[in-house]
Amino acid sequence: MASLRFRLNPQTQRRLNRFRGIRRGYLSFLVLAALALLSVFGEVLVNSRALVVRYQGRYYFPTYGAFHPGSDFGEGYSYETNYRHLGQRLAKEGSGDWVLMPPVPFNAYENDFRPGVYPPTAPSAAERHYLGTDTTGRDILARLFYGFRIALIFAAFYIGFVYGLGIAVGCAMGFFGGKVDLLGQRLVEIWSNLPFLYIVIIVASLVRPDLTLLVIITGLFSWTGMTYYMRTATYREKARDYVAAAEVLGASTSRIIFRHILPNTLSMLVTFVPFTLAAAISSLTALDFLGFGLPVPTPSWGELLHQGTANLDAPWIVSSVFVSIVLVLSLVTFVGEAIREAFDPKRFTTYE
Amino acid sequence: MNLSAPRTLALLAALAFSGCAKKEVEAVIDNTQEVQAYYKAHPDFFKFATRADLPKDLAWQDGHDVPEFAAPEAKRGGTLHAYVDDFPRTLRFVGPDTNGTFRPYILDDNALTLIQRQPNTGQYYPALASSWAVSKDGRTMYFRLDPDARYSDGVPVTADDYLFLFFFFRSSYINDPWYNNYYTENFTNITKYDDHTIAVTWKESKPDVYDRLGSLIPEPHHFFKELGADFAQRYQWKMEPTTGPYTVLPEDIHKGSSIDVTHVKGWWAENKPFFRHRFNFDRIHLDVIRDPDKAFEAFKRGDVDMYSLTLPRFWYEKLPDSDPIVQAGYVHKAAFYNEVPRPPYGLYINTSRPLLDNRDIRVGINYATNFQLVIDQYFRGDYQRLQTTADGYALVPFPGIKARPYSVELADASFAKAGFTQRGPDGILVNDKGQRLSFTVTSGYATLKDVLPILKQEALKAGLEFNIEVLDNTTAWKKMQEKQHDIAFMAFSYGFEMYPRYWETFDSANAGKSQTNNICNYADKETDALIAKYDTATSMDEIRSLATQIETRIRDQGPFVPGFAISFYRSGFWRWIGFPKDFNVRMSDTSIQYGLNWIDEDVKKETLAARASGKTYPPSIQVYDQWKHKD
Repeated sequence: MASLRFRLNPQTQRRLNRFRGIRRGYLSFLVLAALALLSVFGEVLVNSRALVVRYQGRYYFPTYGAFHPGSDFGEGYSYETNYRHLGQRLAKEGSGDWVLMPPVPFNAYENDFRPGVYPPTAPSAAERHYLGTDTTGRDILARLFYGFRIALIFAAFYIGFVYGLGIAVGCAMGFFGGKVDLLGQRLVEIWSNLPFLYIVIIVASLVRPDLTLLVIITGLFSWTGMTYYMRTATYREKARDYVAAAEVLGASTSRIIFRHILPNTLSMLVTFVPFTLAAAISSLTALDFLGFGLPVPTPSWGELLHQGTANLDAPWIVSSVFVSIVLVLSLVTFVGEAIREAFDPKRFTTYE
Repeated sequence: MNLSAPRTLALLAALAFSGCAKKEVEAVIDNTQEVQAYYKAHPDFFKFATRADLPKDLAWQDGHDVPEFAAPEAKRGGTLHAYVDDFPRTLRFVGPDTNGTFRPYILDDNALTLIQRQPNTGQYYPALASSWAVSKDGRTMYFRLDPDARYSDGVPVTADDYLFLFFFFRSSYINDPWYNNYYTENFTNITKYDDHTIAVTWKESKPDVYDRLGSLIPEPHHFFKELGADFAQRYQWKMEPTTGPYTVLPEDIHKGSSIDVTHVKGWWAENKPFFRHRFNFDRIHLDVIRDPDKAFEAFKRGDVDMYSLTLPRFWYEKLPDSDPIVQAGYVHKAAFYNEVPRPPYGLYINTSRPLLDNRDIRVGINYATNFQLVIDQYFRGDYQRLQTTADGYALVPFPGIKARPYSVELADASFAKAGFTQRGPDGILVNDKGQRLSFTVTSGYATLKDVLPILKQEALKAGLEFNIEVLDNTTAWKKMQEKQHDIAFMAFSYGFEMYPRYWETFDSANAGKSQTNNICNYADKETDALIAKYDTATSMDEIRSLATQIETRIRDQGPFVPGFAISFYRSGFWRWIGFPKDFNVRMSDTSIQYGLNWIDEDVKKETLAARASGKTYPPSIQVYDQWKHKD
């Protein structure tokens, strides 16, 4: 690889260094990043498919790719192999074949029913349900894990959507000012007064929402907050000398906006991201909790929380999801605080 | 109760928003002329005769030898606190949006018919008619109305209200095709002999003519004088005067939050045999609690007096016998085995959809749907597998017809016949054209939404994908009635009829149309022919044989995947709610149906004081299995 062309400007570099210096926030960031990374490779950790199968001298890696029917491994059925059973069978046969399962050998959807035992079942290391099962015998750890991943994906799209729209509208209002600003502001005010929850409820009762639709609905009602900040930031930057200088030099409007103003508002935007992330995760959880979120049976924290509160006699459901939510939201908040502190302009602004 | 209503859906109810109709000045209408003109225009149907014209040789019956079934120890008075899962969308009995969970309180379990079936013995006892007789040909019934009968507004019930009901139900104003059709197609005559004597004729002789003719409910002409094209709006929140014990007072309608039904003051049947000691609550206060778990918490706190524990989750987990309030005797638990037609829970396949119009695919879906696992593991073996579309009719059993068992091999074989032989990379079957075997299952049952993911996982093994869509009750039902679904997971609740109905649910006349109960959009010439014969059959033997043929044909065509049946209901109730010693009657569907229980306000005070002081009572967990089928 050629030498890294892209250079952070010294000010950003300084801010990053300062962020690294704030230990709680930086650690939280590392933990979150690790969790996010883990969830990307979730199939290797939490899955009903085996990592490696050695069968009749051949090696199989079923984690990714097409399914292997049971008949591939001498099981008498055409559907996806039950690797846990296969493992037990191969071990019993003692022919040197074996199955290596992931640490949590369940996916988020399968109902692990056992004769005479009615779900939900309490956590058990022997059954490898480390956090127990829910009311239909699904592994709670698996559902938590994939629920987290889906929440992150949702948050990523949500942030993209909200920032895209909020920045565009806010920046336009700030830059063009006058009538655009006046009208834009009024529209934003009207829009932000629409009752978000009712609209989500109505939409969710009419159609089965999926991830895209949820991003769009929640995003449509969340972008307005960003416009206020963007508008003022743009106003402020626009009045600065360098913008005037660029204008004099004949820079086009788009060049001024994209090359001069936007990069200078970036530091403000960055400080908002963690809080938007927390908002995204909690609103998805809230919607799922109310039953207006992702379609059944998608793993989700809100759905687990709902099950948990409905089944307080099975405390492992509510406690595991509660702890997860508190943990993740705290981590995100710590990161947010640290970023805010690191990017605080007061540190090096001197008033003349 | 035998209602002339269609199979009513057990779920359903309404969004709170719906009540905000525009307030307009309503034009005064008086339809007396129009009604009289209608009678004149149909002289064969509406006949006016004199007492002298009554046949002389009629054998009048009055049900005097029928045993009463209420408990004399019942206490009158008090307020029952209960809940509904959604606010009713209207107080009308007919027209749009009338099929809701609130309707039993004002119609199904409330309004009186001419004669009613004794719910233990199946004999008939007098209600609005004090005596009755059947003609020789078995098509006509004669009724002498009880001169004491009054509507809740004090107006006497007369023969004219029975004439008017035919005008009413046949009218296009009510915007309800089912009623229009039922009252046009089936009855051939009503004759008024005097103000309290009528005769009604059914189109042909039927074994259950008592049910069909005796179940007519009078419509108060004085109330419907303003019946016109704006019926649905004009009568949306007006409670029709009722002959039954309970009515809704305008001040008790709190839209979206609560509604009360109140005992009619000086109810005319209060002290009549078969009605005394029944309908004991002065008032039933219904809060809208949309979430079943929240309602359960309200019940545990004592804000709601009774709660259905039929679902195993509630009976075993949420209110186990060991629960402190059960052990302290504050809350009693009871399981009651009843004998009624079973609501057919199952998958209703929309046979007009692409791929689902193929019989082999439907049969494959039958094999790929593992209801037995749901019953064994999720319902803890408490429920039974439903075998046909109409289980539980004592006189029309189907011993030879069984639902298809879950079998991946048989499902595979059946799907293969339809061209689905290859599995895609995700394990779902695909055909040569690249179509995937994937369908959406729509349901409105929030309490049963866990059933579907289990079915989904099991279907996956057979290469079939179910996408689950759980909607709001009302929206789901609307979607199903408009036939916009692929597969519906639902059940009808049946009236206690002698034998099942098929025309509504499986005749092609109701396929391809919205607002009919043929949820499967099932249109099959052979079934149609059988149903036509069935609907004109005159003996029970014939009916049994034809019903068996219809069920066999339907099973063969596979539009319906039989789910599960529940042969009991279970209830938890605070100890101040009193029940007869047998708990309820054989043909009851819920613990308060037939109005046999009561509230003891003294016991309530005592219990609340005991709960505060920590005093306990002996626990009470009862199973009433006197009507259980013993194998």
